[in-house]
Amino acid sequence: MHAKITQMLFSVIDELNQLRPPDEYLTKDLETPITGDSGRLDSAGLINLIALTEQKAAAELGRPLLLTDDRTLSQVNQVFRTLGTLADYIHLRLNEKK
Amino acid sequence: MEIKAFTVADLKTALVSEDFWLTKTLPITKHRALSYSRNPRAEADDLVLLVAYQDNRVVGYLGILPDKIFSNDVVYKLGWLTSWWVDPSCATTGVGAILLFKALNAYDQYIGVSGSSREARKALQASQKFMALKPLRGLDIRLRMNVTREILRRLPMLKIFQGLFKIVDVMMDEVMDVRRFFWQRRKNPGQGLTFEYISAIDEEADRFIQRHYQQDLTRKGKPDFNWILNNPWILSAPLKDAASKKYYFSSRADRFSYLAIKVFEHHPEMMGFLLLKVRNDRMSVVFSYFENRHAASITAAVFHHALVMNMSILSLYDERLVATISELGCPCWSAQIKSRGFSLSKAFADIPLANSRMQGGDGDLVFY
Repeated sequence: MHAKITQMLFSVIDELNQLRPPDEYLTKDLETPITGDSGRLDSAGLINLIALTEQKAAAELGRPLLLTDDRTLSQVNQVFRTLGTLADYIHLRLNEKK
Repeated sequence: MEIKAFTVADLKTALVSEDFWLTKTLPITKHRALSYSRNPRAEADDLVLLVAYQDNRVVGYLGILPDKIFSNDVVYKLGWLTSWWVDPSCATTGVGAILLFKALNAYDQYIGVSGSSREARKALQASQKFMALKPLRGLDIRLRMNVTREILRRLPMLKIFQGLFKIVDVMMDEVMDVRRFFWQRRKNPGQGLTFEYISAIDEEADRFIQRHYQQDLTRKGKPDFNWILNNPWILSAPLKDAASKKYYFSSRADRFSYLAIKVFEHHPEMMGFLLLKVRNDRMSVVFSYFENRHAASITAAVFHHALVMNMSILSLYDERLVATISELGCPCWSAQIKSRGFSLSKAFADIPLANSRMQGGDGDLVFY
């Protein structure tokens, strides 16, 4: 499951990169920082990442995923610190729903 | 980072708290907070302000203006987003996203947006949670050149030539005044019109508005207009005060006022109601109510006020007024087509809104 989530997130990154200049491309790496001091996404970028991730989770994993609920919003800096922390969180949330 | 959510009741408490106003950046001004707390469409527990604090420093905020919209006599509660700001040094902390999604959650995803900055539009589009309504097509009619203000706004270093620019302004406006003098003699556009200025909506105006607001999406009534008239977000003040220096959005202007006008023609029965907003040298028609057959007279009434009050720009967003402007043929320097955009969250997707009318002051636009 984790591998599928990672692939799904990498396809989100592909889409995000299409909207960014080449020198601001995000690397498809679980260590890639998203938010925080070394974060690469501004508010619009993060909002886009969330919207695309929710969409692709439904399409590619066949599971609805909500990343804008108050629980997620209360820990944005932990959940969205890197692609890896986001993958872990998605894994956790999807397993809870089983 | 800590996000504090302020309801109407919390804001009332904040207004009398000293600590709330001590931060280096203010998330709201006192007069705007007063206005929020008196909104007749807001309940005491409605969320109206989200503030992000980091080490007791304000690093972001988002205001929400509770409102109601009407479709087929069904009433829907929503919040209009207003004054969304993020400290640039915190741009990658996700604070802007948190504020937006918290606002959406607090209003069960029923959120509206009226006008917005380029950055805000980008973020809202990215969320895929909003749909654009048909924009209002309007006109900015330049009645006076006022090159002094324009040049000094863009190139403040030319202030030493201010006197020269003012002479040019006076000369050009004299030419326009002569043209308008002959135009008024020839057309006499305001002939037969009489006006009554009101500081609060009276029974006659209230009845008139109610007869003409059925197509309006927000159906503003007596309590709403009285609230707007008495609770502006921008104050007329000659200088920036301490609060306006600490607040990112407009809180003062050299000149700011509303004009609520009952328009009559020949007989004692009202033919129109106008709410005009004057900000510096710009007059905007923010709400207008009249029957289509009176469009030419109402347009003449608006023009008459703009000319008498020495306005440089007249902004119109009522399509009937825009359509009759060319018939009026009033001399002006230019007439620039403008559009005013509104978006609603997709929670409204199944609600029939196509036949609803938006007005130029809907959302938070009446206050700016």
